[in-house]
Amino acid sequence: MLRLLVGRLTAAVPLMFAVATLVFFLAQANSSDPAGSILGLDATEDAIDAKRAELGIDQPLLSQYGDWLVDAVQGDLGTNWFTGEEITTELSDRIPVTLGLAFGGLLLAVVIGCSLGVLAALKAGRWQDRVITVIASLGIAVPSFWIALLLAYYFAIELRWLPAVWPPGGPDGIGEWVEALVLPSVALGVAASAAIARQTRSAMIGVLQRDYVRTALAKGLPVRRVVGRHAIRNAAIPVVTLIGFQVAALLGGSLFVELIFNIPGLGSYGVDAIFRGNVPALLGFVMVIAFVVVLVNIALDLSYAWLNPKVRVRG
Amino acid sequence: MSTRQRVQARLTRNKVAMVGGVYLLVVVIVALLAPLLAPHDENLATRFQDILFSPSSEYWLGTDHVGRDIASRLMFGARYALFAGAEAVVVALAIGVPLGLLIGYFRGWVDAVVMRIVETVVAVPAIVMAMAIIAGLGVGLTKAMLAVGIVYSMVITRLTRAEVFAAREELYVDGAIAAGASSIRVMFRHVLPNVAPALIVQTTLLFAQAILAEAGLSFLGIGAGSDQASWGRMLRDAQLSIDRTIWPAIPPGLAVFSTVVAFNVFGDGLRDAFAREARGGRIGVGDVQRREARPIDNEGVPVQEAGGSSASDPVLTVRGLSVAFPRLGTDDDVEVVSGIDLDVGRGEVVALVGESGSGKSITALSILGLVPDPGQASASSIMLDGSELVEMPFEQLSRIRGTDIGVIFQEPFAALNPAHTVGRQVAEPLRYHLGMSRAAARARTIELLAEVGIPDPESRIDAYPHEFSGGMAQRVVAAMALACGPKLLIADEPTTALDVTVQGQLLDLIGDLARRRSMSVLLITHDLGVVADLADRVAVMYAGQVVETGCLEDVFASPQHPYTEGLIRAIPRNVSRSGDLPTIPGLVPSPWEWPDHCHFADRCEHVTQECRSGAVALTPSATGLSRCVRAEELALKGVREEAS
Repeated sequence: MLRLLVGRLTAAVPLMFAVATLVFFLAQANSSDPAGSILGLDATEDAIDAKRAELGIDQPLLSQYGDWLVDAVQGDLGTNWFTGEEITTELSDRIPVTLGLAFGGLLLAVVIGCSLGVLAALKAGRWQDRVITVIASLGIAVPSFWIALLLAYYFAIELRWLPAVWPPGGPDGIGEWVEALVLPSVALGVAASAAIARQTRSAMIGVLQRDYVRTALAKGLPVRRVVGRHAIRNAAIPVVTLIGFQVAALLGGSLFVELIFNIPGLGSYGVDAIFRGNVPALLGFVMVIAFVVVLVNIALDLSYAWLNPKVRVRG
Repeated sequence: MSTRQRVQARLTRNKVAMVGGVYLLVVVIVALLAPLLAPHDENLATRFQDILFSPSSEYWLGTDHVGRDIASRLMFGARYALFAGAEAVVVALAIGVPLGLLIGYFRGWVDAVVMRIVETVVAVPAIVMAMAIIAGLGVGLTKAMLAVGIVYSMVITRLTRAEVFAAREELYVDGAIAAGASSIRVMFRHVLPNVAPALIVQTTLLFAQAILAEAGLSFLGIGAGSDQASWGRMLRDAQLSIDRTIWPAIPPGLAVFSTVVAFNVFGDGLRDAFAREARGGRIGVGDVQRREARPIDNEGVPVQEAGGSSASDPVLTVRGLSVAFPRLGTDDDVEVVSGIDLDVGRGEVVALVGESGSGKSITALSILGLVPDPGQASASSIMLDGSELVEMPFEQLSRIRGTDIGVIFQEPFAALNPAHTVGRQVAEPLRYHLGMSRAAARARTIELLAEVGIPDPESRIDAYPHEFSGGMAQRVVAAMALACGPKLLIADEPTTALDVTVQGQLLDLIGDLARRRSMSVLLITHDLGVVADLADRVAVMYAGQVVETGCLEDVFASPQHPYTEGLIRAIPRNVSRSGDLPTIPGLVPSPWEWPDHCHFADRCEHVTQECRSGAVALTPSATGLSRCVRAEELALKGVREEAS
């Protein structure tokens, strides 16, 4: 297990390096001049040159890249061109918010998706299955930001059950956190629930036809136990793979949901960085997201080893 | 029928997919005719004071926060959605397909490098990566969708590559290479056609994703500009007036949603149309229904004597067991087992013999109440040591399955759950049925593993099934079947999947266990040779019926049914080494082809007019029971002497 963990972590290093390289050069393709847009229209040529030197963008691209990389390895993602703050500091305020949101969405998606998927598989071909299949097909097509708009309107503006905007100064205490994150998490979790339900259903149907399920029944175990002990764990393997993709999708979706609920998370940071051509901020944003996705995937890889003993041996 | 026709026929039969297809057609028409259909301007309010109007005859879907007509904007929005989707998909295919073909075909370092890039891109959420690319390209609908297309091309690359790898496995590609075809030619003539179905399906689904991405990016303000009435842009505008009304968000949201659903169901329909016919079933539990014995099956035979009357103290008696399945593509049910009678005496080993497709295994599963859905089993009686199993509730039958009946299946690796240790699987019935403590169950499991001949059971108990050889895995299955001390062991082709060298050992084990434990065994096999060393009595099955029963020696010495004779002749060891292995000509017919008269008539070398004149009953013969009208007059050959 430890060897597996070390192996995966080692493999993640070149991946993170590649993401950084790719995004660094992609972002440079933009021809707009950040110094000009920071200083405004009436800045003098000299002031702009001075600003360029201050930001370090008068240097050759490769040396900029090298400098950034050396700092990044030490955990320093540079300075925000527009706010002058440390990007690492700015991001670290926002990471818990987005992670909380994504975790809420994921929790909802896994609980609802897996339960509906298992139920549909056990009732394959009957009305319960048909209803769940239809709901899931619709669910994967719903844009998260549309659901977010509807939820915000009905539950926050009309009914006033939950806050529509982020509490000023941030949520205080677990109660406020939950209150602030319920609607955004639901909006985020709908599509993921539907996707997980579909995958769980098809995986379960496949597993239920396997011989070892028949063996378990032939041993006289009740259906509940056969499903719980013998079927779910094997059906979980493709579902876990999907959850890996869903984590990435949830982090992507959080961009929209954060915008609607005014949540100061990573998403709004990234969108803002794009609008302003704020290269170091954008880089920091992408790196953090990629880092989370990579970590989650390592965790999922480890869970495969638990689910499938064959992987454990090879590990 | 060509593949294309078959796919088309299946697709048109799929109502949901067709509805999706028709809806998409409507969207395309609306998009094309938007300037003609739209009653108002795309971007300008007709009267700027008409703000946030409800739907009316002038404004069909009302107006937005600056007085623009929502219905008209929605129609123009269809243009942006389809254009954006098409752009992203075309970019994705234009990059992904050639790249995937290239790296899938040449492999090596090209593949390694490209795949690292693909992995890098997909490590980041698609929308985030698209945003990074947009940061470089600049904002705007065309640039944004180019970025989305680049991200999606990674998915297409990976898919194409995987399909090329799969196609390469097929022999015809190697054949084409061996025949000297050029690389390009092999790729486009032989590989691409096989990749196409998966690509078509994926493209449809990506189109749906691209429409969602367009709406999302436009919603964020980095897609469609303020002068483009994209659905996402409309949602962005609707957000500005959300504290007054939600209405302007409803039509564009529904438009995105329904278009994406339409693409998805159409794509799913395509996938199903391309896929081979597959059908899922529920968890396989069909209770056995009660049915009165049909007179035709037992004509002239008192029910109690059917199936060989030699079992004076029967552990299992089965009467009139039938199993029917609905036939795919029709409304009819087809009987795969018809009116089986079977007895197994205490401590007796009974062999149920017949070719594949004769209904042996399904008979065994019926006794356990485990006929796979949607099969329907019925019987007038199944008695296990005094208890009637027919119509017994599933939960009650579960108790019997784990304790009184043990089963060994054909494929040990399929029968064992790969996710659990063998010890846990063997101990499970002990813990569940006998309520043993963990420690007691473990100790007993070690004993059981030792009893079935697994060396070093103390350490092997914690191993997983894949760490065993086939023969050893089958011994584990046997230990599991024996755990609660069953009265009856059902062994369904227990050696068929095993290496020839261990088959004999496993049969010896089953024989030993039966003797030591005074346990009855129902041994199901297609190989009469297997039976010879083990069984006391034999029941021969052909095409859903028992055609002969009797004591082992009698059946081998003087078979009373031509089919039995054929089976005996086909035992390899009965043939002189120089001769060819005799076989019974033809195959067991499929259940829906079974005739009303003797089922074996069409393959029988002794067939006469009488054989085809009506159903044949199982009647007493010289040595047992036989379902042959000519049983008495034919002098059928039994086991021959070894040729010298």
